[in-house]
Amino acid sequence: MSRPNVEGLAVAPGAGPLVSAEDVAKSYGGVQALKGVSLSIMPGEVHGLVGANGAGKSTLIRMLAGLAQPDAGRILIDGQPTVIATPHRAADLGMNFIHQELAFVPGMTVIQNIMLGLPKASRFGMVNWGAVAREVAPVAARVGITAPLFASVKGLSTAEKWLVNICRALMRKARLIVMDEPTASLSAAEGEKLFRIVEDLSASGVAVLYVSHRLDEILRLCHRVTAFRDGRSVAEMPRADLSRAALVEAIVGRGVDGVVRSPGPPPAGDVVLSVRGLARQPRVTGVSFDLRRGEVLGIGGLVGAGRTELVRLIYGADRIDAGTMMLDGRPFAPRSPAVAVKAGLGLVPEERRAEGLLLTKSVAFNLQLANLDRVVHGAAFPLIDKRRRTSLAQSVIHDLAIRTPGADTPVGRLSGGNQQKVVMGRWLLRGPKVLILDEPTRGVDVGARGEIHRLIRDLAARGIAVIAISSEPDELPDLCDRVLVMAEGRVLRELAGPALTRNAIIEASYAEPVLEGAPA
Amino acid sequence: MSAVAAPRRRLSPRAKAGLGFFARYATIFGLLAMILAFAVLSPRAFPTVNNFTNVLNQASLAMIIAAGLTLAVVVGELDLSIGFAASLHGILVTGLIVSNKLPIPVAVLVVLAAGALVGLVNGLIVTKVRVNSVIATLGVGTILTGLAFAYSAGVPIVAGVPESFLQLSLGRWLAGVPNNIVVVAIVVGGLWLLVERTALGQEIQAVGGNPAAARLAGIDVDRIKILGFVISGMCAALTGILLASRLGSGTASAADSYLLTAFAAVFLGSATLRDGEFHVLGTLIGALIIAFGFNGLNIFGAPTFSQYVLQGAILIVAVGLSSLGRSIAES
Repeated sequence: MSRPNVEGLAVAPGAGPLVSAEDVAKSYGGVQALKGVSLSIMPGEVHGLVGANGAGKSTLIRMLAGLAQPDAGRILIDGQPTVIATPHRAADLGMNFIHQELAFVPGMTVIQNIMLGLPKASRFGMVNWGAVAREVAPVAARVGITAPLFASVKGLSTAEKWLVNICRALMRKARLIVMDEPTASLSAAEGEKLFRIVEDLSASGVAVLYVSHRLDEILRLCHRVTAFRDGRSVAEMPRADLSRAALVEAIVGRGVDGVVRSPGPPPAGDVVLSVRGLARQPRVTGVSFDLRRGEVLGIGGLVGAGRTELVRLIYGADRIDAGTMMLDGRPFAPRSPAVAVKAGLGLVPEERRAEGLLLTKSVAFNLQLANLDRVVHGAAFPLIDKRRRTSLAQSVIHDLAIRTPGADTPVGRLSGGNQQKVVMGRWLLRGPKVLILDEPTRGVDVGARGEIHRLIRDLAARGIAVIAISSEPDELPDLCDRVLVMAEGRVLRELAGPALTRNAIIEASYAEPVLEGAPA
Repeated sequence: MSAVAAPRRRLSPRAKAGLGFFARYATIFGLLAMILAFAVLSPRAFPTVNNFTNVLNQASLAMIIAAGLTLAVVVGELDLSIGFAASLHGILVTGLIVSNKLPIPVAVLVVLAAGALVGLVNGLIVTKVRVNSVIATLGVGTILTGLAFAYSAGVPIVAGVPESFLQLSLGRWLAGVPNNIVVVAIVVGGLWLLVERTALGQEIQAVGGNPAAARLAGIDVDRIKILGFVISGMCAALTGILLASRLGSGTASAADSYLLTAFAAVFLGSATLRDGEFHVLGTLIGALIIAFGFNGLNIFGAPTFSQYVLQGAILIVAVGLSSLGRSIAES
C-alpha cells in the first residue's frame, strides 16, 4: 500500500497508515448500511469524515469500536488485518471514542472518571490517589483541564467533560481518538479551545477521526477528508483540494434533482395550527410557522437540529419554555400528549418500536389505542367488543395494505414498513386535525416507502394537516408542499414551489446559522 | 476475504417454540403433577373434597392480595406495602368494631377506603414525586407498620370481637361454599374483566407494556399507574379484613408474610399461559401452586423450616420462568 500524501503532517517517512478499512460492507437485517467503504488514517493525522445522515459513518465507527463486525472487507491496524471483536479489544489497540452523549459516572470525581477501568497506583492494596494524581496532572494540564482533579464531575460544563474524556483517552495510551460531532454542544470559545487541543494531539502523534456536519471545522482542522454517501466512500480529499463547495458536492452527489416539482396549487385551507416563538432550551430556540388544512409541511435539517424536540413541544410531550400556539384559532398549550390527542393531534414517533408500538401485542391491540371508544359496546357499557375490534382492525389492514398474517399477529413480527403503517393506522382511525410524522420512512423498504408517501398525500387530500420530519433530503420534495429547514433549534429557511429541491434543502441544512455571540 | 463476524448464539425457531411451550405450560403441568403426586402418596388425606375446599379456603386471602398486586405490576410498578398494609387494616377494622362500636359493614367500608387511600399515596409518590416504586412502597409500608403498632399499642385486639365479624371469613354460603371463596371469585373475576375486557383495561395493559408508547398514544399514564396502586391497596385492605375475621383478632404484622406469597404467585402467574406477561388468571394459578405445595408439606408433616425454603425457592423459580418467557417473546 502506498503512503498517502498528507500535507503538513510530521510523520516518519515510510510509515504506513495506523488504521485502514478496505471495502468494508455491513448490512443489518436486509438493509445495507455499508456497501463498501475504504478509509485510511495516518498516525498523527486529523482525518475528517463527512456524509449525510445514514451515509454509514456511525456503522464504520461501531466497527472500529468493536461493536459490530464487517460482513465483507477487512480492517487493518498497523498494516495487520485485525478483528476488533469487543470494545475491550478496541481499547487495547489504542482506539478511543468520544460521543456526543459523554460517558460519565456522575457521582465520581474528575480523576476517578479519568482513571475509570485503568490500573491505578496502589499502596497496601489501596489506591494511592496521591500517586495517581501525580501521574494524571501533567496530562490534564496538557489538555487544559482547569477544574481540580478531586472535584466532582457534576459541576463541569460540557466542554470540560470533553476534556476529561480526552484526558481519559490519553491515559489509555490512545493512538486514535474518534470524535463524533464534538462541537455540537460547545460554545464558540469552547470550540476554539477544542481545536487547539486537537492540533496539539495531532502534533504529538495521536490520530483523530473527526466526524462533523460543520464543514468550517472540517476545513480548518483536517489534513484529509473522506466523504461517505449511501454507504460508500465517494471521495478522499487532501487538504489542498478541500473547499466548502467540494465537500457539499461530495456529500450531496452531483445534482440529481430527480423530480422537478410542478408548482401545483398551494393548499388553500385555513390555518389549523399556528406556532409563535416556540422554545425549549437548549434544542429549540424560537420557531414560528403556520400550518394549513390539507397541507403537508416538511421539516428538514440535520440530526440534532431540534426537529423532534419541536414536534414534541407541539404534542405536549415536553414542557414549553416560551412561545404560544393556536389550534383552530383558540389558544393551545397542551400539558400532556393526552390533552393534545383530545384536541385533535396525532404523532407517529421516530422510534416506532420504542415509542409507537407494543411489540408483543397484536396488530388489533395496537390499532385500538387512541380509539378505545370505538371498540367498546357503548359508552355506558365499556366492555371491549371483540368482533367490532377485529373488523375495525381488518378494515385498516385492508385500507393501508398492511401485510400481516392476521389482526391478532403480534406487531413485532411485522416488517418495519408494516409496523409503521400500524402506527399510522391508529391515527387514521381517529381522524386527527393535525398529524405529525417523525421520520415516517426510516428503516422502511423502498416499496413500503412509496405506499407510505401515497398514504400521507391521501390524508392531506382529506383535509388533515400533516407535519413530516425527514433527514433524507430526497424524501421531502416528493412528499411536501412546503419545507422548513431547521438548524440549531430554529428555522433557517422556508422552501416551496420550484425552489423546493433536494439540493436546496441540503444547502440550507449546511448554511451557517446566524448565531449571537459568534467570534468576529 | 473472509467475513470475521463472531457467530452469535441464536435459538433455532424449533428450540424457541419448545422453550416457549415449556415456559408457558410448565407451571400448569407442575400444579397437576404436584396434585397427582400428593394424591398417590397420600390417597386418604389429600384427594378429598374436604381437603381441596380447605386448600382453596386457606389460599383465598393470598389470592385476593396477589390479584391486587397483579394490577400494580401490570402497570409496570411494584407494591411492597401490601403485606404491611393488610396488617394495619386488620387492626384498624377490629379496632373500629370493638372500640368505636361501628357497625361491621361501615367498618369494612371505612377500611376499604383507607386501603384505597394508601394506594393513592403510593401512586402519587411514584408518579408525581418520581420515587422508584420499590423504595416508595417499602417506605410507605414501614410507616404503616409503625401506625399499626401505634394504633394497637403493640397488643393484639382480641377481646370483644363479635361473632358476626368472625362469620365474615368463617361463614359459608349456599351449598356450603366458604365465604372466602365467594369473595375470591368476585374479586378475581372482577379484576380479570377489568384488565382483559374493558377499555380501561386496554389502557392498563398498554401502560405496563410500553409506557412511552402509551403516553404518545394519548393515554394518561400517571392516572393509570395510580389506579393500579389504588386497586392493589384496596385488595390488601380486603385481605387484612378477612384475616382479622379469620384470626378473631387484629394483630400488628399478622399479614406481613403475604407479601412474599403474593409476589411468588404473581411471578409464577406471569410465566403461565403467556410469555412473561402479568395477568390476573395466571396469578390465580400461581397462588394455587403455592397453596397446594404447602398443603402437601403439612400433610406429610414436613418441618416448619422447609416451608421457608419452599417459599424462597418458588419465588426464585417463578421470576426465572417469567423472565425466560419475556426473553422468548422479545427475541
